[in-house]
Amino acid sequence: MAAPAQPTLSFPKEIFAKLSPHPYLLAHLQPSSPSTPSRRANARLPDQFRPAHFNNGSLTHAEGSAVVRIGDTTVVCGIRGEVLLASNAAGFRMDKASAAPAMSKGHSEAKELDLLVPNIELATGCSPAFLLGQPPSTLAQGLSTRVYSLLHSSNLVDGDDLRIWYQPPDLSDEDMMDEDAKETPEPEIKAFWTLYIDILFISLDGNPFDAAWAAVVSALKNVRLPKAYWDPDREMIFYEDAVAESKKLQLNGSPVAVTVLVFRAKEKIQSNDKEHWILADPDTFEEGLCSESVTVIVDCSSGKTQMLGISKSGGTIVGTEEMKKVVSLAEKRWLELSLLLSG
Amino acid sequence: MSDRRRVNGPSGGTHTPIFSKYLAKDVKELNRPTRVRAPNVLRKMFLKTGVTPSASGSAYLEMEPPRTRNAIGPGLASLSTSGLKLTCTVHGPRPLPKNAPFSPHIILTTHVKYAPFATRKRRGYIRDSSERDLGVHLETALRGVIIGDRWPKSGVEVIITILEGEEDQWWGDDRGRGSISAGEWGMMSVLSGCITVASAAIADAGIDCVDVISGGVSAVVRGSEISDRLSPGMLVLDPVPSEHEEIVSACIVAYLPGRDEITDIWVKGDIGYGSQSSEDNPSYEELTDNAVQAALGSHRVLVGALKETAALKLAR
Repeated sequence: MAAPAQPTLSFPKEIFAKLSPHPYLLAHLQPSSPSTPSRRANARLPDQFRPAHFNNGSLTHAEGSAVVRIGDTTVVCGIRGEVLLASNAAGFRMDKASAAPAMSKGHSEAKELDLLVPNIELATGCSPAFLLGQPPSTLAQGLSTRVYSLLHSSNLVDGDDLRIWYQPPDLSDEDMMDEDAKETPEPEIKAFWTLYIDILFISLDGNPFDAAWAAVVSALKNVRLPKAYWDPDREMIFYEDAVAESKKLQLNGSPVAVTVLVFRAKEKIQSNDKEHWILADPDTFEEGLCSESVTVIVDCSSGKTQMLGISKSGGTIVGTEEMKKVVSLAEKRWLELSLLLSG
Repeated sequence: MSDRRRVNGPSGGTHTPIFSKYLAKDVKELNRPTRVRAPNVLRKMFLKTGVTPSASGSAYLEMEPPRTRNAIGPGLASLSTSGLKLTCTVHGPRPLPKNAPFSPHIILTTHVKYAPFATRKRRGYIRDSSERDLGVHLETALRGVIIGDRWPKSGVEVIITILEGEEDQWWGDDRGRGSISAGEWGMMSVLSGCITVASAAIADAGIDCVDVISGGVSAVVRGSEISDRLSPGMLVLDPVPSEHEEIVSACIVAYLPGRDEITDIWVKGDIGYGSQSSEDNPSYEELTDNAVQAALGSHRVLVGALKETAALKLAR
């Protein structure tokens, strides 16, 4: 090697990080003097998030799409709209009373009929850890399920946007005055939009859920569904090509997921160590060293912070106090991301 | 049997939207996209390495979407024509698993996958035959380039995700649905892009190669029939299937300019043999020569992108 000979036996940083990762991160986090703030191995402050970049509508064959880059994690989300005929929908009953526009609250067709289909694919070579040509890994399945349940529990997509209505023409003649001819035929639902939400990881460097969820929300905001109508002669659903007649989805709020990890100073001992750091938006290196993780999903779009979900696992360090801190971190992150999501 | 490890959607089955334009009686009512480039001009190409920091090498390639004369604004999926978008990651060289038999040279694995939203018709997650076909062609093309003996007992994986594929024909010609299939002409451009992007990613990973390889496509196309006589065939470089009424034959080569060597060649369609070319019937040799010219074009872009990468790496 051309490098000058080192006077002492020392490793470059990368080798040290590989050989003993835990002391490496600990050495970074423990400040050398009380005045300097502790920094992580990636030079971020413990509560600092990576910058995010959003790019919407870059895919042509998808009704809505988004590319989200958070640090070195890159996600592509494409949403395809397909059509489920009401006659094919298992368990859907055309009920005159319930078909009225004032649908009973709390009744979610999207959930009953499975109209939102999110899938996460990690086997795209995004990280050397995932093998190719294999069925989805446990992580991918877990992430898909979390996105799926959050989509439904957050009620993000309005069920009304997914219905395709048909107003039967009034066929009754003027001179033929039957008793029941006076009432105009009621509109009926002929089909439903099904949104296939496919999330591909181009690059993975930690924190897959936050990035995937941000991509889903961003892509949903980008969705433009063409106007659909029922053709009674052909008994098929057709679509208008005109862009002017297509419509965007009305989303209920814009939730943001925020994940933090807890790094303990002592690697093995479970209890009696108070020294710990809360690391926001972890990367792959940090994910390998921490077992306790907290994910909160917040939405502040109504002015008040709404918590859509908390999941916490892996340890007992985060209590009420720490939880408050995490939530305030999440609120801060929401402000950053919501600007990007709406812009 | 549905895949229980994925979210499958409604059991009743869904279908892709059918647009009212498909019902138009006369094709002429719709504005068919036409090629505005000269026959020997390639599409603009964007190539960048290092998109996936967690992989040893990676690259992204994008072809400019075809421009239509009467440009309709950005719109619905039904109206737009796509450009090609590919990402490629290379993992390795890394040691083979313990149970693998001894190998004196590097073991190359290629994997090509369409994203579900890459084409007009939604694709599934399981690899289909055309994807495996692309993978085999890519492997053949790359095997001749990598100096394999330098890494005994190791393996390298080349993975390509097609975020946006090439269309096989113009959507207006697909109205019949039952019509004879378009012969998958789009695959040719996709393969050519795959070869170029894989080459960039392999160079980014620092794997020794005899030269950088690039892909090129040429085709013989025919316009619409004029007064009962077939219009003459015309040679074009880098064809976009949706811009031509009929593609007679197409050829893709993987070409090494430094050695003047072709590592993979694939010709499809109706083409005469030998060198007896007539005015309206280009020969096989002309077709391959033109594909090589196209490959030289993408080679220039490739070298430019790699120089940029090298400058970045040296500056660090």
